[in-house]
Amino acid sequence: MIRHMFDSRIAFFADVHSNLEALDACLDHARQQGAKKFVFLGDLVGYNANPNEVLDRVMQLMNAGQAIAIRGNHDTACFENYRDQMNPIAHLAIEWTASKLSHEHLDFLKKLPLIHYEEDRCYVHASAYQPEAWHYVTDGLSAWRSAESSGKIYTFSGHVHGQALYYQSSVGKLICFTPHPGDAVPTGRHRRWVAIAGSVGQPRDSNPKANYLLFDVENECSYFHRVSYNHVLTADKVLSAGLPEDLSTRLLKGL
Amino acid sequence: MLSLFQSASPYSIDIEAVDDIFQTGKTVDNFRIGYEVHRGGMAILKEAFIDFEEDPILLKIPRVGKDQPIENLICFETELTILRSLNSPYVPRFIKGGNLAKTPYIAMSRIPGVALEKILIEKKQFSIEQTITIALNLLKALQNLHAQEVIHLDLKPDNILVDDNHEVYLIDFGLAHHARFPDLLAEEMRKGIGSAPYISPEQIVGVREDCRSDIFAFGVIVYEMLTGKLPFDNPQTLNGLKKRFWAQANPPRSIRTDVPPWLQEIVLRCLEPYAKDRYQSATHIRQLLREPSTIKLTERSERLAPLSLWENMKRWFRVTGYEPSPILRSEIIYEQAPLMVATIDVSGENEPMFERMQRAASNIMKVFPEGRISCISIITNSPTFEGVREIDSASGQFRRHLIRLKDWAKPLNMSEERISYHVLEATDAASKIVEFAKDNDAAVILLGASRFIPNRVVPWRSTMTKVVEEAQCSVHIVRI
Repeated sequence: MIRHMFDSRIAFFADVHSNLEALDACLDHARQQGAKKFVFLGDLVGYNANPNEVLDRVMQLMNAGQAIAIRGNHDTACFENYRDQMNPIAHLAIEWTASKLSHEHLDFLKKLPLIHYEEDRCYVHASAYQPEAWHYVTDGLSAWRSAESSGKIYTFSGHVHGQALYYQSSVGKLICFTPHPGDAVPTGRHRRWVAIAGSVGQPRDSNPKANYLLFDVENECSYFHRVSYNHVLTADKVLSAGLPEDLSTRLLKGL
Repeated sequence: MLSLFQSASPYSIDIEAVDDIFQTGKTVDNFRIGYEVHRGGMAILKEAFIDFEEDPILLKIPRVGKDQPIENLICFETELTILRSLNSPYVPRFIKGGNLAKTPYIAMSRIPGVALEKILIEKKQFSIEQTITIALNLLKALQNLHAQEVIHLDLKPDNILVDDNHEVYLIDFGLAHHARFPDLLAEEMRKGIGSAPYISPEQIVGVREDCRSDIFAFGVIVYEMLTGKLPFDNPQTLNGLKKRFWAQANPPRSIRTDVPPWLQEIVLRCLEPYAKDRYQSATHIRQLLREPSTIKLTERSERLAPLSLWENMKRWFRVTGYEPSPILRSEIIYEQAPLMVATIDVSGENEPMFERMQRAASNIMKVFPEGRISCISIITNSPTFEGVREIDSASGQFRRHLIRLKDWAKPLNMSEERISYHVLEATDAASKIVEFAKDNDAAVILLGASRFIPNRVVPWRSTMTKVVEEAQCSVHIVRI
């Protein structure tokens, strides 16, 4: 039977996108599940209305030695010109974010690494294959490329907003599995895995609940969680901040 | 076993020989290793003891090592994952799993039963009654498995244990599929993996998510129990396997004359090449087997001789390729094609309720176009002697109930396949309704509300209250 070694549980948060309510709900949930360590898989900001507050949370956890954060494309867009690589609405939100960010926060984002390795795990925002090119992991082949480049047993990433688990089959290829929320999925060290945590701050599968991933190092299993949060409040904040209305509606509908 | 495995391994495991690790007399993770019970191609079974407990348990140890094929480990890992998650009285109880990379084993309870294969070899064939008893228990086990989103995919007499009471247990989940876990068999390996006589046509082309594959294997097993023969032989080549894409099995009645037409109907329908043409769930077959009078007989039940060579040629020509039916997952059967038990008061005392129930049932069926209804009526005051008038006699009363049930269902316009009628006798109506719903794995019970009579104190619970409290499924109360 699966033992509950709470010390060995890591929570992964990807694509928080300045959504403070979703982040707090996921943090609470993860703590209740016994997570002691938190990994932020990039795209801390963009789209929604609380960039500074979200960064404060992350920095606080990092200062306490409980968290690691990776830089994503939206974070990078705050100080590099990404106008041509983003859709107009996303870019509008980046311009707004950049205007609100404090010097300290901008500096923090600049210093974040693109990729991080820890024991048999690799953390990266998009793909471990050319992390700076933000390749999407959407099928077995792109997942295989990421796993090959990371060279680790486990590669944890985000960028794609939906949860997915790619596993190495007996002929080496990676196969996509769509996990069911809350299940303990065995993810043993004897094969390689690419796990996509799903987006905390902007779910896109017609379900407004936030996504995050809990990995149990000791028991070698993963939980893909979905968490309810006050998305109506977040959507209101997006509107009052003067951000595009689309960004508010998609939170309500999970688009 | 036919397989198309390749050798590249995803496993970073370095075990020289499992035999050394699990030597008789040694202790592994507190299990004292006993004698070898069975040595198969893929795994070894050994008995083992926990502390000072007398009764041995079983350790299943995969045959891994330098010169062993990779599928041994894949099947082992699959079985470990699925057995650990299953909660069923019809499979071995999972006790513990060993570390896959160092001491791979599954510790499980030992089931007191004999493999159906062994009984088949001894007896050659079964009586009709025995076949039905074992088939019903097999369906009960399958139903339980499918409800947990597991498909066995390797059902065969070898993997079915039968105990003294004819209860059935399923073993060996090495090829099984669980909708909630990654399927470790790579696409390249999926085609045609299984046991040649029992594998369904869709498995041959690589489908592993359709629970109706188990229905096909069930059909082969019952066919074998009745006739002592295999409906599609035991082909050793892929081309030989493909014969079941188009061929018609020789009708059991052409081999054994005492097979009732309705039983042949059930067996042959399970063997249909396209999953959509088979019965769609174990629950449904179980219900039919228990009430053969409700089975819709077709041309299948009338076949008395094998197809002529010419007819066979025509069928073979017609089939240009095999395109499996759209996949039906087990969770869909239970959620999208539920069974509703409609409890009808046929006394005629409450006509408005009779009609309101019709509308409620019709509305629910609009949401579930694949759903089924079992209409039931309870006779509580069964006469102890035959009455003078026909209508008062037991058989007359039964008939009257049945006619009223059919009247009730008429406006629903359901095909015969999706509706059944049951007149049940019981002194305690509520218990009977609850039991019927549980037995048939119903998703919902439809029930008319008891009438509230002001100022009357009822010292006992009404049927409605009791059903609501005791039913294991949803209960829909209809009020006017």
